[in-house]
Order: sequence, then structure tokens, then C-alpha cells
Amino acid sequence: MYEFDWSSIIPALPFLGSGMVLTLKITVVAITVGIVWGTLLALMRLSGIKLLSLFATGYINLFRSIPLVLVLLWFFLLVPSLLSNLFNIPRSSDTRLVSAMVAFALFEAAFYSEIIRSGISSVSRGQFAAAHALGMSYAQAMRLVILPQAFRNMVPLLLTQGIILFQDTSLVYVSSLADFFGTAYKVGDRDGRLVELLLFAGAVYFIICFSASLLVKHYQKRKAI
Amino acid sequence: MISLSKVSKHYGSFQVLTDCSTEIKKGEVIVICGPSGSGKSTLIKCVNGLESIQQGEIIVNGISVNDPKTNLSKLRAHVGMVFQNFELFPHMSVLDNLCIAQTKVLGRSQEEAADRGLKLLDRVGLSLHAKKFPGQLSGGQQQRVAIARALAMDPICMLFDEPTSALDPEMVNEVLDVMVGLAQEGMTMMVVTHEMGFARKVANRVIFMDHGHIIEDASKDDFFNKPRSERAQQFLSKILQH
Ligand SMILES: Nc1ncnc2c1ncn2[C@@H]1O[C@H](COP(=O)(O)OP(=O)(O)O)[C@@H](O)[C@H]1O
Ligand SMILES: [Mg+2]
Repeated sequence: MYEFDWSSIIPALPFLGSGMVLTLKITVVAITVGIVWGTLLALMRLSGIKLLSLFATGYINLFRSIPLVLVLLWFFLLVPSLLSNLFNIPRSSDTRLVSAMVAFALFEAAFYSEIIRSGISSVSRGQFAAAHALGMSYAQAMRLVILPQAFRNMVPLLLTQGIILFQDTSLVYVSSLADFFGTAYKVGDRDGRLVELLLFAGAVYFIICFSASLLVKHYQKRKAI
Repeated sequence: MISLSKVSKHYGSFQVLTDCSTEIKKGEVIVICGPSGSGKSTLIKCVNGLESIQQGEIIVNGISVNDPKTNLSKLRAHVGMVFQNFELFPHMSVLDNLCIAQTKVLGRSQEEAADRGLKLLDRVGLSLHAKKFPGQLSGGQQQRVAIARALAMDPICMLFDEPTSALDPEMVNEVLDVMVGLAQEGMTMMVVTHEMGFARKVANRVIFMDHGHIIEDASKDDFFNKPRSERAQQFLSKILQH
């Protein structure tokens, strides 16, 4: 019978905490950049300009058809050499974090843009007409009238996507970045307590994600009233 | 003030408007009526360029609406429009609804805009509701806010697309009263409506449309007393029965 021994967790908490900070950093950057870039992609796709909408459609389909792990690996391999070529940064310096952030942001943008596009379409066409009738330009109507309503309708979906992203950040283990999952793995491996540490990590992910989704549900209920 | 000459429009092969011509002078009130689907909404949306036209010409205040070189935003800023479904911005307070275009389109200061907005809310009898959101108001109140929002832009004319047809009957009059007031002050108005009481009271002329044609364009008295076309007669007898 396997004897559980949780004693290695407490002394490792600062290290695990630093891993959690990294996980949150990647999540927040990817959500923020992803939403901004995703909004632009959605606007391109909805714009009447053929070239832009073709580009956006291609981009979205591409990223939605490739496993995230592959995108991450490509960026770990690509970004360092790109950076060293462009900015003369030595190849050896650690760009793994930046690569991970860029990869997640670009990948998430494809998903966010689809959410945002449906959010924009959910605002009635009459709102556009009213904004135009008051003399607003297309850009003003979008920015002042359509997008604020679209985002308000989309908050739950965007947050849910953010929760998924928070879990997916654990995939940075392919570059042995010390995110929360990575640090847990390292500690468990070092102390020969992998099972305990992975169970602990799982519990932490579960608690955070489950409470976040409860919050989203609560928000939805409140909005429905 | 507003002139339409031989305006035609089609969606694909479907002809919505055919050779529509009319002339509206400053201070005139024109009521447009006709069966559903006859092109009334489309016609007045063409006047401020919300819909484009394929043939003919529309001139508003000396500016050709269908000229591709025309700055439509600039023109629309001074052509008020009121919609059947109010189309207030639900994420803004009533006062912000009145201010947003004043500040962002006309470049007025926030104070100036709020000042003007509050005056107009007072005029439509809603100054106590400035801080509420549109969703908290009744339909009639929302439509009065929508009228105030259009007036805040100091429009040279006002377009109404069935402003009372989405309202419960008991709220129709509060909106019509505001519109009658506007008409009596000399506002140039194009009003799509089936409220014949309103037409009798303030209209100078009545236009009757059917299948995208202007069938009748007559003075109010002529229209009500002796409509020339059979279709207008049928239409009138139908709606006057109700
Ligand atoms: N975007 C559109 N595409 C195709 N047909 C349309 C469109 N908008 C309106 N129509 C058609 O044009 C006709 C006139 O519509 P409308 O101007 O709304 O009529 P009314 O306001 O008199 O009821 C209707 O038959 C309608 O189905
Ligand atoms: Mg209509």
C-alpha cells in the first residue's frame, strides 16, 4: 500500500508560489493581448474589406486547427532565433517566457475573435442605424455603441475561455518553464514525491477554476435579473 | 429643404422603390402611410443615407445625399431620426444617450451637452429620469427620450419611422403630443405613421405608398376627402374603421 507523505509541500510553498505567479502572468498577458488582438481580428473579419477579412479568416482557421502544444513548441524554437536576428539578443538568453506569452496570446486571439464576432453580431442592426443617424462614423459607432454592448453580453464566455487558458498554460512544461505545474513537478521529482505533488497541483487548479466558474455563473444570474 | 427626384432602389432583383419623387419645404409636415412592406421605412432611410439608392437624386438642405463625395456623417448629424424600436443605447444613462453624439460628433463640451440634454428632457417631460437607464423606462418614455436625443443635435429636419407602432395604446398620445408640439413650432418633419389623427391635426401633405410607388401625394384635405386612387381609398377606409 502506497504511503502518502505530504511533508515536502510546505517547505516548497515559496517555490510553488513563484510558479503560480508565472502561471498567472502568462494567463493575464494572454487574455489581455488575446482580447485586443481578437477584437481587431473580429473587426477585420466583419469589415467589408476583402483582404482584411480573408486574412482574419485564414488566421482564425489556422490557429483553431493546430494543437496548442505544437504552436508552443514552434514559438520556443522560433522566437529565440527571431529575436537574436532582429535585436541582436544572444541566443542563449532566456526568452522562453516571452515566447510562451506570445504563443498563448496569438493562439487565444483566434478563439476570442470568434466569441467577439458573435458578440458584435448579437447587437441589433438598429443600434448601428441609430448611431449612424446621429452622425457617428463606423469607427465611432463600433467603439461607443456596439462594442460596449457586445462585451457586456460576452463577459461570461470570455471568462470561461480565460479559465480554460489558465489550465492550458501548464503546457509550457514542454519548455521546462517553471510555472505552477512545472514547479510542482520539479519538487515532486526532487523529493521522490511526484504523486503527492501532482495531486496537490490538481487540487489547486481545481479549486481556482471551479471558484472562478462559480463566479461567472453568479455574474450571469445577476445580469439576467 | 428635402427633395427626392425619381428615386429607385432594389435589393438584388427586388424593386423596393420605383421613381419616387416629392418635395418638402421648410416647416412642412409630411405624413407617409401605406400598407406594410410598401417601402415607407426604406424611403425615409434613404433621406439620410442610411440606405443607398441606385437611381435618382435626393437633396437635403442643398446637399446631394447620394453623391459619393458627400460627407454623410456630417449631414446625418443634423437630420434627426426616430425609430420604431426607439434604439436608445441600453448601456448608457438617459442623459448620456442625449450627450454622446453632441460631444463626440458635434464637439460640444460635456457641460454644454448636459445642459442642452437636460433642457430637452424637461421639454419631453422626463427631467426626473436623466440618471435612469433606458431599460427602466416605459416604451412611451423611451420614445420621448429618443426624440429628445435627436433634437439635442439641433436638427434641420426630423424623420420618424412609425414612432408609435411599437407602443401600448395608452402610451401613443404622450409621444404624439411631443410630435405635435414640434410640428407647431415649425419643424420640418417626414413622419411614417398610421395615426391619422396626427395627420389631420398637423400634416401639410399626406403621401400614400404602395409596392414601392408613391401613389398619392396630396394636401391633407384632398387626401382625406377625395383620395384619387382606389388603393388609397381602400387603405383609408380600413384604417379609419379601427
Ligand atoms: N435588407 C433588405 N433586403 C431585402 N429586402 C428588404 C430589405 N429591407 C427591406 N426589404 C423589403 O423591402 C420592402 C419594403 O420594406 P420597408 O421599407 O421596410 O416597408 P414598410 O416600412 O413600408 O413596411 C419589403 O418587402 C421588405 O421585405
Ligand atoms: Mg417600416
